[in-house]
Amino acid sequence: MSTDTAQARGRRIVPVYAGYLVAALVFFGPVVFMLWSAFRRNVDITGSIFDITTPLTLGNFTNLFERFAFVYYIRNSFVIAGGSTLLGLILGVPAAYVIVRRRLASVGFLTLLARMAPGVMFVLPLFVLSVNIGAPSNTGLNFLLLIAAHLIITLPLCIWLLIPFFEDIPISLEEAAMLDGCSVIQRFRNVVLPLALPGLSVAVTLSFIFSWNFFLFALALANNDTLPLPVIAFNFIGQGASDYGGLMAASALISLPAFLLTIFAQRWLVRGLTGGAVK
Amino acid sequence: MTATMTTSTKTARRGEHGKDHRPTRRRAGPAPVARGVWPLMLPAVIVTGFLVILPVLYTVWLSVSDRRPDGSNSGFVGWANFSRMLDDPLFWNSVRVTLFLFVVCLVVETLLGLALGYLLSIDVPGRRIFQGLMLIPAITASVAVALVWLLIYDPSLGAANQILDAVGIDPVVWLGDPNIAPWSIAIVDIWQWTPFMALIIAAGIRSLPSDPFEAASIDGASNWRKARHVGLPLLMPVISVAVLLRTVDLVRFFDTVYVMTQGGPVNSTNTLNVYGYRTAFIDQQASYAAALQLSLLVLVVAIAGLFTWWRRRQTIEY
Repeated sequence: MSTDTAQARGRRIVPVYAGYLVAALVFFGPVVFMLWSAFRRNVDITGSIFDITTPLTLGNFTNLFERFAFVYYIRNSFVIAGGSTLLGLILGVPAAYVIVRRRLASVGFLTLLARMAPGVMFVLPLFVLSVNIGAPSNTGLNFLLLIAAHLIITLPLCIWLLIPFFEDIPISLEEAAMLDGCSVIQRFRNVVLPLALPGLSVAVTLSFIFSWNFFLFALALANNDTLPLPVIAFNFIGQGASDYGGLMAASALISLPAFLLTIFAQRWLVRGLTGGAVK
Repeated sequence: MTATMTTSTKTARRGEHGKDHRPTRRRAGPAPVARGVWPLMLPAVIVTGFLVILPVLYTVWLSVSDRRPDGSNSGFVGWANFSRMLDDPLFWNSVRVTLFLFVVCLVVETLLGLALGYLLSIDVPGRRIFQGLMLIPAITASVAVALVWLLIYDPSLGAANQILDAVGIDPVVWLGDPNIAPWSIAIVDIWQWTPFMALIIAAGIRSLPSDPFEAASIDGASNWRKARHVGLPLLMPVISVAVLLRTVDLVRFFDTVYVMTQGGPVNSTNTLNVYGYRTAFIDQQASYAAALQLSLLVLVVAIAGLFTWWRRRQTIEY
């Protein structure tokens, strides 16, 4: 490895790129197929996949918005993912700070246990709760309940993503602020938070995507007015028997934030996906 | 949780006093700036308690009582739900399905992940960008993944059968045949998570020290022997982290299965998690579903524990 000459590097570029090509075909193929199908007419989707000359259309998307009022489902997804991200941040930022400053790594790990428990375990009690408080027929309550449920995803994620950022803040800055007579809250707000801003943006993006993608809680708890994108796309399967174009357009819409994230924040994605096991 | 925090505060203080004479005392105990910060954590602790601990306790209560579909509960019934579970062939079927998917997916994902991880660890221009793009399957919403694979697996119009047809293989009933459907579901999971596995392994390979390899070269070891007897043992901690993460997710296998087959055909893809969900929300037997879910939690914790133990043994060995 250390005796790396330009010549040796040149020789292995070709086989490595050949490997990349195979991997790309296998692992990007279905995603490209989804995006492509989202822009094809249904007659063409049900035709040959080798016929790449068929015309492209926006029809599947306009159909989603005109016939199925997708704007509302997108709004619902935004409310749930946005709400749970915001709450996760409000609760998670101070918690991560305390974990770092008091070296409570074990407490941080406890929150991660929430990730390990099967989601269905939370759904049943939450469903009983929702029936008892009348959430199924009350849109506002239903949104609140879904946001609370999605906190189970966003809160541990926020805490775990923020810990390394707080670790990087030099303690001397806080000591200086303390000598100037700042209280804990002032120090936290005026010294720590501004320095942790990059971390906050990472936590916001990843929490939002993970909450946006999450399927199970809304499947069990949402009512007709609060259905988010993944659940309406699932309900679609039964309705439009062979409207594959619509299904693929819906899938593309669901995946859009994640695709943007892969482009802009991929470095942090690994940590988010591995729950902090790999930096 | 509050109790844990108080204890650790005390321990930290004691540590500070005990090491008073040492110059690096700040490293041992909480720094002065860390005093009095813990109330900032209180909201998160309380919410976690409400969101995580209460539901688990309630599930335990449900599992030993009898909640009816109309919402009434006839009270404590002892082990009735659990003994029913042990006599339920559908429960044992779902255990079998869960273990099948777990073993098949994990083995294939680890082997392919090693190969792809090696590829991703080699330094060539564009490596970082390609590595990032490889995350796309893992980050795509599982519902979207399931939907596109539904189209790929479509018996008559699907891409999979069209490709098979092009190379002269008879069409396969991917999701309609109880013998094939579990494999089809496994393929989707393998597709979605192998790159993720590879990425973790690639990071591990790139952080390997070069000395042991050079020593092995001097001893005249072949490349294969170096990889097998030097690289693999050194990589074990990284691989086991990846395996543990996948294990936790595979045992709880839900989204893809529920969207694609809802556990069918003939319960051939009915994982424990899907069975638990269907029992609760389609059959409306909350108490029995609670018992099923607790057994799933036990399974998750047991497997996680087993791996932790195995990992510790591995570390000692090398």
